[in-house]
Amino acid sequence: MEQLIGELKEHLIEELNLEEITPEDIDSEAPLFRDGLGLDSIDALEIILILEKYYGIKLSNSAEAKPIFYSVKTLAEYIMKNRK
Amino acid sequence: MVGKTEVNIYIGTTSIYTCLGNKFETLAAMNRGRGGLSFNKQFSMFTGSLEVEMMETYTRFESLMIDQLIEVLSRTNIKLSDPSVQLIISTTKGNVELLEEDVDHPSERTFLYTSAELVAARFSASNPPIVISNACISGVSSFVVARELLLSGRFNHAVVVGCDVLSEFITSGFASFKSISEKPCRPYDAQRDGLSLGEACGAVVLTTDISRAVSPYIRLAGGAITNDANHISAPSRTGDGLFYAIRSAMAEAGLSADDIGFVNSHGTATRYNDEMESKALALSGLNTKPLNSLKGHIGHTLGASGVVETVLAVEQLRQGYIVGTYGFKESDLPHPLAISSGKQKITKACCVKTASGFGGCNAAIVLEGSDSAKLTTENHNILPQKVNVVAKYTLPQSDKAFADYIRVEFKQLGESNLKFYKMSDMSKALYIAVERLLAIEGFSEIEPTRRAIILANRSASIDSDIAHQQIVSQRLPEGPSPAVFVYTLANVSAGEMCIRHKIQGDNTFFIENRDSGLAEDYARLLIARDRADAVICGWCEYLKGEWNVDLKLLKKIYD
Repeated sequence: MEQLIGELKEHLIEELNLEEITPEDIDSEAPLFRDGLGLDSIDALEIILILEKYYGIKLSNSAEAKPIFYSVKTLAEYIMKNRK
Repeated sequence: MVGKTEVNIYIGTTSIYTCLGNKFETLAAMNRGRGGLSFNKQFSMFTGSLEVEMMETYTRFESLMIDQLIEVLSRTNIKLSDPSVQLIISTTKGNVELLEEDVDHPSERTFLYTSAELVAARFSASNPPIVISNACISGVSSFVVARELLLSGRFNHAVVVGCDVLSEFITSGFASFKSISEKPCRPYDAQRDGLSLGEACGAVVLTTDISRAVSPYIRLAGGAITNDANHISAPSRTGDGLFYAIRSAMAEAGLSADDIGFVNSHGTATRYNDEMESKALALSGLNTKPLNSLKGHIGHTLGASGVVETVLAVEQLRQGYIVGTYGFKESDLPHPLAISSGKQKITKACCVKTASGFGGCNAAIVLEGSDSAKLTTENHNILPQKVNVVAKYTLPQSDKAFADYIRVEFKQLGESNLKFYKMSDMSKALYIAVERLLAIEGFSEIEPTRRAIILANRSASIDSDIAHQQIVSQRLPEGPSPAVFVYTLANVSAGEMCIRHKIQGDNTFFIENRDSGLAEDYARLLIARDRADAVICGWCEYLKGEWNVDLKLLKKIYD
């Protein structure tokens, strides 16, 4: 799990162009879509791409994404359960 | 610089070509409640696609425009070779499909202006064409710009043509936004799940000479462009941007909500667009007016939509009843609208036509029929406003690579804005230039709706287009990146500045061959006609590591 969280943070930084942010700066349990990382609806779509690209998970319904995308931790938990 | 105060703008000859056919075929199908969307195997989605008879040496996009121009010009004695006639072209992506051939070396024809000049030359146009690429409001924007130019007295007639064709570039981009409907789109319906794309072309002659207008007369009585200053792709949650556009267009027309017979909205059938519109229409007092969206019949035809739907609005005003909203059954909107589900009589011969698009832009025009308009001459009662250039800034050139150069520039601003690094390179260059310009003189004293940004460039967004096409061509299983696709519209860079500096007034993006001063010229018109108090204007070019950003801040002089 810890390894997955670390890896996920790297992917988020890379794919969402979070320049000047290091994995240590991201609190695994803090909300992703609040002021912290300043993520928005385009980033949410990019996270859907990360799930498919790296973990083979297809999330077609963006409505179900909300609780999953809450934090890095909730994302990692979802990946653990659903990865292929 | 001073607008004539006794000018009316009338609709002259018009023509369209949609997936339902020519103007009368399209209108007849809509009157009978028929739609034209069908499943497109190439793009794996429902679209409104056209069969195009290509013209020798011209592309599909150009052939369509030439066809429609021949159609409108053959029925009037207004000629593009006359210096008092201005051609205005509205498109979002023009010949972008040519990028598929050699993505790293875009051919000349990929540049919108090259294509525009070829079309203009076909009709021996006297004036260089004006090209407007303002995302999905481009068509309605073109009428607003045409109106300003005609009121300025520079031209007596304008010919507006709007066109977009579909390619994998566009369809895969919208798919990356998860905004494509599984079935033909259903505007405002509770079951709606996204938009359907279409291709179309339309042309309209606008004239200040009533003897050249087509009877029954319809006036282009008002128009305005605004920005949400909220997000580059998500519609506003409040609807205030679109509300300001409607309010300003109706004020121009001197009309109140009571005078309006119907609203032809953008109505794309995405959940957020339709909700946003319902809020804006409620704010405007137009939520009880009969309303229709034509996207269910012909799809979202992008840069053509504002032109094609305006032509159809004119025909609906003339026939005295409106068509339904194909695909609509029942709504779940937060603010109920009087959505027309079938043919419906209208009691007032005035229409508000709206559009909203990526970059946070909104546009509205008012069309006024002859029985409600007494056809008196417009009296704007606007005193000529004087204009001052209060600041100028040119982004310096550098020997460093752009990424290194711009990072240093951004660091020097001494702020942290995580959004900066997500922007396209053109947006980054513009971001720094605007920060420096406003450091010379700011505009914090100016009310947001009175701030405007008017830009021009040559390449539109080709730098981002290349990046998106490279991803599309790889055919990745997860599909293209929405964060790249969103910047394949030049005006999105202007939209970033609107968010950053709370600019809620006009935001128009022109495409030219070289900096002819058009952006500044138009900015001056906006101030002269008291439509803005401060305008950032100028040239904003970025292509393949080379940049040229040259800006001015204009302000109204207060006596």
